[in-house]
Amino acid sequence: MKYHKFILSTVIILASLLNVYGSIHPKHNTERYYISNNTINLQLKKASLIQVFNLIEKQTDLKFIYISNELYQNTKIDLSINNQPLEAVLKTLKQKSPIDFKITDNGILVKPIPKTVSEINQENITIKGVVYDETNTPVLGANIYATAYNIGAVTDYDGQFTITVPADTKTLKITYIGYENVDYPLEGQLEITVHLTPHFAALNEVVITGQGASVQRKRLSNNVEVLKAEDLAGLPSQRIDQLIATKLPNTQINFTGGQSGSTTLIRSRGINSAFLSSTPVFYIDGVRMDNLNTTSALGGGSAQGAAMSSIADIPMDNIERIEYINGGAATTLYGSDAANGVIQIFTKKGSSRGTQITASTQMGIIAPTTDFLYFDRSKDLLFNTGTYQKYNLSISGGNSEGFGYSFSGNFLENTGAQIADNNANKKIDFSTGFKAKLGEKVTYNSSFIYVNNTYNRNRNGNQGGYTGLWFAESGASVLKGFNNRLDDLSTAEFSEINDFVKTAEELQDNEISINRFTTSQSFSYKPVNNFEAKFVGGIDYRVQNDKAIQTNEYLTHTTQTNVTDEGNINNLERKYFGITLELSAQHKFETGKFSFISTVGGQLFRNSDHQIQYTGTNIRDGAETISDAAIKTSEEYLAEVLNYGFYFQENIGFKDKLFFDLGIRGDRNPSFGDNIGTQYYPKAGVSYLLSSEPWLENSTAINSLRLRGNYGVAGNLPPAFVNERTIDFDGFLGEQAAFFGQSGNPDLKPEKTKTFEVGVDAALFNNRVNLSVGYYNANTKDALFYVPPTPSSGYANSQLYNIGEIENKGWEINASFIPIQTENVTLSLNVSVNTLDNLVVDSGGVAPFNINGFSARTIQTVVEEGYPIGYIRGNYGTFDENGVLESTTAQSYLGTTIPDLFGNLGMNFAYKNFSLFANGNYQKGAYANSFDQQFRFLYGASDDIVPAAEVEANGTSNWLNFTNLFTEKTDFIKIRTIGMNYNLIPKNTNTIKSILIGFSVNNPLSFTASSFDPEATISGSATGQGGASTGGISYATYSAPREFLTSLKINF
Amino acid sequence: MKTIYIYITVLFLTLTACVDNPNVTEDDFLDNNNSATSWITGVKRQLALTMNAIVINSEMVSDNYFNNYTLYNKVYDIPQIDYTDIDGNSMQVEIGALREMAEYALETVLPNDPDATAQEWSYAHFAKAYALILSGENFTGLPMNSNGEAYTANELLEASLSHLDLAIDNESDSETILAYQLLKSRVYRGLGDIDNAKSSALAAISNNSLLFVVEFDGTNGVPNEIQNATFTASENRFAPLPRLDFLDPKYFDIGTATEDQKPLSLAKVEEAYLILAEAYTAENNLELAKSTLTNLIDNVLASRPIMYLDDSEELRNGTNRQDYPITAVNVSFESGQESKSGYILDRQAGLIPVYTVSGTSITIQDIDATASADDVLYLIYLMRQEIFISEGRRSNDLGIKFPVSQTEQLNNSNISDEFTQPTIPSFIPLNLGLDDFTADETTGNVTILYDMNRVLVANKASNHVLPFN
Repeated sequence: MKYHKFILSTVIILASLLNVYGSIHPKHNTERYYISNNTINLQLKKASLIQVFNLIEKQTDLKFIYISNELYQNTKIDLSINNQPLEAVLKTLKQKSPIDFKITDNGILVKPIPKTVSEINQENITIKGVVYDETNTPVLGANIYATAYNIGAVTDYDGQFTITVPADTKTLKITYIGYENVDYPLEGQLEITVHLTPHFAALNEVVITGQGASVQRKRLSNNVEVLKAEDLAGLPSQRIDQLIATKLPNTQINFTGGQSGSTTLIRSRGINSAFLSSTPVFYIDGVRMDNLNTTSALGGGSAQGAAMSSIADIPMDNIERIEYINGGAATTLYGSDAANGVIQIFTKKGSSRGTQITASTQMGIIAPTTDFLYFDRSKDLLFNTGTYQKYNLSISGGNSEGFGYSFSGNFLENTGAQIADNNANKKIDFSTGFKAKLGEKVTYNSSFIYVNNTYNRNRNGNQGGYTGLWFAESGASVLKGFNNRLDDLSTAEFSEINDFVKTAEELQDNEISINRFTTSQSFSYKPVNNFEAKFVGGIDYRVQNDKAIQTNEYLTHTTQTNVTDEGNINNLERKYFGITLELSAQHKFETGKFSFISTVGGQLFRNSDHQIQYTGTNIRDGAETISDAAIKTSEEYLAEVLNYGFYFQENIGFKDKLFFDLGIRGDRNPSFGDNIGTQYYPKAGVSYLLSSEPWLENSTAINSLRLRGNYGVAGNLPPAFVNERTIDFDGFLGEQAAFFGQSGNPDLKPEKTKTFEVGVDAALFNNRVNLSVGYYNANTKDALFYVPPTPSSGYANSQLYNIGEIENKGWEINASFIPIQTENVTLSLNVSVNTLDNLVVDSGGVAPFNINGFSARTIQTVVEEGYPIGYIRGNYGTFDENGVLESTTAQSYLGTTIPDLFGNLGMNFAYKNFSLFANGNYQKGAYANSFDQQFRFLYGASDDIVPAAEVEANGTSNWLNFTNLFTEKTDFIKIRTIGMNYNLIPKNTNTIKSILIGFSVNNPLSFTASSFDPEATISGSATGQGGASTGGISYATYSAPREFLTSLKINF
Repeated sequence: MKTIYIYITVLFLTLTACVDNPNVTEDDFLDNNNSATSWITGVKRQLALTMNAIVINSEMVSDNYFNNYTLYNKVYDIPQIDYTDIDGNSMQVEIGALREMAEYALETVLPNDPDATAQEWSYAHFAKAYALILSGENFTGLPMNSNGEAYTANELLEASLSHLDLAIDNESDSETILAYQLLKSRVYRGLGDIDNAKSSALAAISNNSLLFVVEFDGTNGVPNEIQNATFTASENRFAPLPRLDFLDPKYFDIGTATEDQKPLSLAKVEEAYLILAEAYTAENNLELAKSTLTNLIDNVLASRPIMYLDDSEELRNGTNRQDYPITAVNVSFESGQESKSGYILDRQAGLIPVYTVSGTSITIQDIDATASADDVLYLIYLMRQEIFISEGRRSNDLGIKFPVSQTEQLNNSNISDEFTQPTIPSFIPLNLGLDDFTADETTGNVTILYDMNRVLVANKASNHVLPFN
């Protein structure tokens, strides 16, 4: 089957290559031409100008740059040129046709000489024009001067102006506050279009996420991280979270495991919730995506202990830009759902003209990361080297009438680095984007995405029974009668254990398959230039099937007992269906020194999470469905969330340098308690562009300098219906049995994180130093805590109450430098430094409760007043002078799981078309427990760590009584990617515009304080997808593998 | 153009702005028919869940079973009992659920349902009584109502009696009535009330096959957990004290485990005989005590079912201790005692007998051989241990009681610190001594470190054990 898909995708790519080549390759009608020492030879009869350009291009290093024009196609000329330099040839051409040339570094600019110059010979001419800003929005109030004659005009609401000037006027000067002045040369045109470039390009960039509609960055009091397609190009990676892991300076993205598709821990401003994972909300083109932040209600399955990532599905080759806001005032307009921040992906909707085709392929090798294995031979037991291949075909295009389209199709196959292909991944995705102008006032945008993703899954640490890593690395092989000191085994002994493991791995059959369809549809209505109404609607439908087959043969082999009637198939199906609808309107108004942007909108999202489990037991080996099972059981879970809110935002500008940003959102939701009405989220902020002050405006050292500060509130929604007091039912002995369900909470409301932040952004020394420094304090006052039931109450389920208080505060510093910038060489460096101080200020009197981990007597990550959230709690042992355990303090603090320092590092070196890049992440100040070490001690596989006297006195019976010995610091610096790209621009063909050749290594280097992988520490948190998770326990979890990838990308 | 968008938007909003609530609220439940039957079935289910929590932990904390695997509690074997321990809390959650469900039946569901039967009323009273019995027998104290103050063990036991009487009053099935009588006898014994214990027990022995059980339902997620721990799980999770090896497992399954979950006894006539014999011994009427024990063997145990099982997969493949041999070896109950055969079985040698209700190693000759009251008491406590194995009764005989949990105390301001301390009598060996033994390196014969029945008799004056002494 897998070869069919491979062949299919190869055929598609090859066919498209041939097709493209055949259709675009020009048919020459030249009689002859040849090249000699950079001089040009042309012998042509009735050749079009385009043909002439093509032939000159072939004989020089230069390309002609021109806007498609009938003139060039229809003007036929005869030429006879022998060994002449380029300049002479161009001069000849100018004489034979009404065109002019300008030679630049990028090529030869071609423009027609308008006839009007010669025809118009009046004393005065009237010029009409329109002035646009960088977003193609007409500019109101721009000044137009004919400086030589002291004549001026001003643009109106539609950016239009009319100016009458003497006919010999050479230039018009256009000025507008905040923008570079433009000297527009007049060469006889009577209608001109002027595009202004902002003074500070970055600050004038327009962002959408968190604003209801588009607003310039400088007007906002918060940071918006923007990643553009070109920032992401050339970085080979399989997943979007992997792609952005080193690109978001104030966000930590940790890879929790090497199982394909496993989740990442994403957190920016600490952990503001004890019940919800810190994963931000994802939007694609305004549509809220499934980010698995719903309860994984029906446990088990092969995803257990290696929680899935829904972000891993998102196709990466059709992304125009990514915007990220990390909570606080930035996310206030998202209301009850955005305290963890919002990541919005905008897909490509086509280019302005022509057709671009890109075909690319990545091939490579997947090697296991063996740095953290305790036994050298675990590598031979469990791992092999896998292969990776990915093929992509992208087509985009459009015209100048506002129509655009894009298509991207991908096929990816990764066999993984584990034996028996137990971690293989296959992914097929298609995405399309369209834009069109429906008449003068309405614009339509749409995108469609389909993804099919299939993962094989290995059994993970805490699944019980046989698991490869536990067996080999934790020493559990001793339970099956093997010598568990793998590196001491004789060849014969090793061969025996190897056979056992190979069979056990081959007999595993765990698969997760995902089918996902996402679409966004938007209409924008712009009756006049300063008003725009926008409707966005879309759906995300994701179906995840998780199938685990345990055959009798597998059970017999791994339990070493003859199992005949326990073969089973467990299916878990999770269907997520989300609808997002948003209607917004934005009005811009300027008067005198003030400018106003008013935004009003309403948003509704509704999602349902439907989980079904169906299990067959006592099933014969070979069966793939439960229909043949002796016993079939099923279970179902449904949660539906409806949230609707309205928002209003007013952004007030004064002299284009001081901005006030005010907004409020109100939300209602059926999962709020009966006593809770509309929830309001206000924000207020100020942004002050110091560099626009006259005394700084002409500074050479400071290109831009901005101060900002704000206060804002954002929330996390409680899960659906947990506010209600319910009765649950189950079957019991053939009858319906009723019992207490959840105790309910009529006062349930979203938890609200109130953030105060201040910051400075500066661009210095010709924009070669960019610095952003900020401080935030985020306080979640009514944090939702699962209060364990009071035993005497009769309720067995925990109930959510808004009783906690969690504080996060820290510095966010981000700097980038360009120490070298010459014509051919550029070196840029970036570094970010984030501090984090997390504390559970108040637990509302609730007993400490665990968010992850095992039982209270082993090890857990716990929420307790006065400690950071999710600290490691276990038994703390002290030893006497001989090294024998003296005392044990149960349930002690063993360390925090949250780093107090983290950030990114990156460098990029470019020489002409060659670039070399590397980037990485680091963290400091967190701890994790090595449960593997603890097991190794219990099973006698290791003599490390525990004093010999203790082993002598008590054997291994105290193995859980000194968990502190197995807790380590998890400081690390990890280099995520080292790579190089070469961009080749072929000279001798018109067919291929460029070829990008790349080589890179993902996860090449790790420098860690811990003996285990400091990131692969979310074992015991199958809830990682539905609940809060901070990591902290390293237990039989695979590390993300090393990937050695080559890539080839051809643009046609 | 604009109005079309407004219409489309309104249409979308109408279509999407409703959600289905999959839950049944309390009001929905009470307003619909048949709530009493559904609720009482729920109480039965809760009783099964409650027994699972009690039995596993009681067996582990006693000398009956050692937790030889990573699942379940890891410190109760020591025994180490902390009020922070989640297993202690879980037991209270299950007991609380049983008590509050019974209370909710009596106060709300049954009065609201005109179709509620007398038997349903009876069962609700029984369930309330049984929750109080489990509270009194296993805890130093517990609340009797939601978030209420804690009552001592004796207060809890005393409170159960009135509910047992109401259960009897509303019940029409004669065997069930006898079972409730037997429970009364058990409560009186716990309170040290010899006369009442005797009179209720005498009523119970009128039916020599009296057996009142709680049933499990594996296909609906309520399996018999001790069956799983002692038999079904592929690892040897619970390992018995070697001298109890011949009684392990009490429960087993053939075929698909979830379909074959054995019931667990809550009240069986054996207990009436044992209470009577203990009462007679306390009254120094040794002959009557001995004849009562003889009758127990002849009239009851002899006719209890014995099933035969292929248990050759039992390989003692746990992880927490070096286990005793899998061949038939002898066992001494204590250092210096006779090394006896027949206690440790060779499971590879053929089918083994399984005593699904009650089994004992004690013979009539053993009874006849007793000379003193202490000899008889020793036999009674050994028989209690053997007959009640895997039923969650042994820790109470050893005088071990769990404390009120931290969660209860933090959420319930009525709990004073005194209730957060466990009761572990001073004669209970710590440091895993309860389950400890040695195996001779050459013969494989086992010597158990402590004969706890001897220790009990030696400490019969203790307030924590042997309530009639």
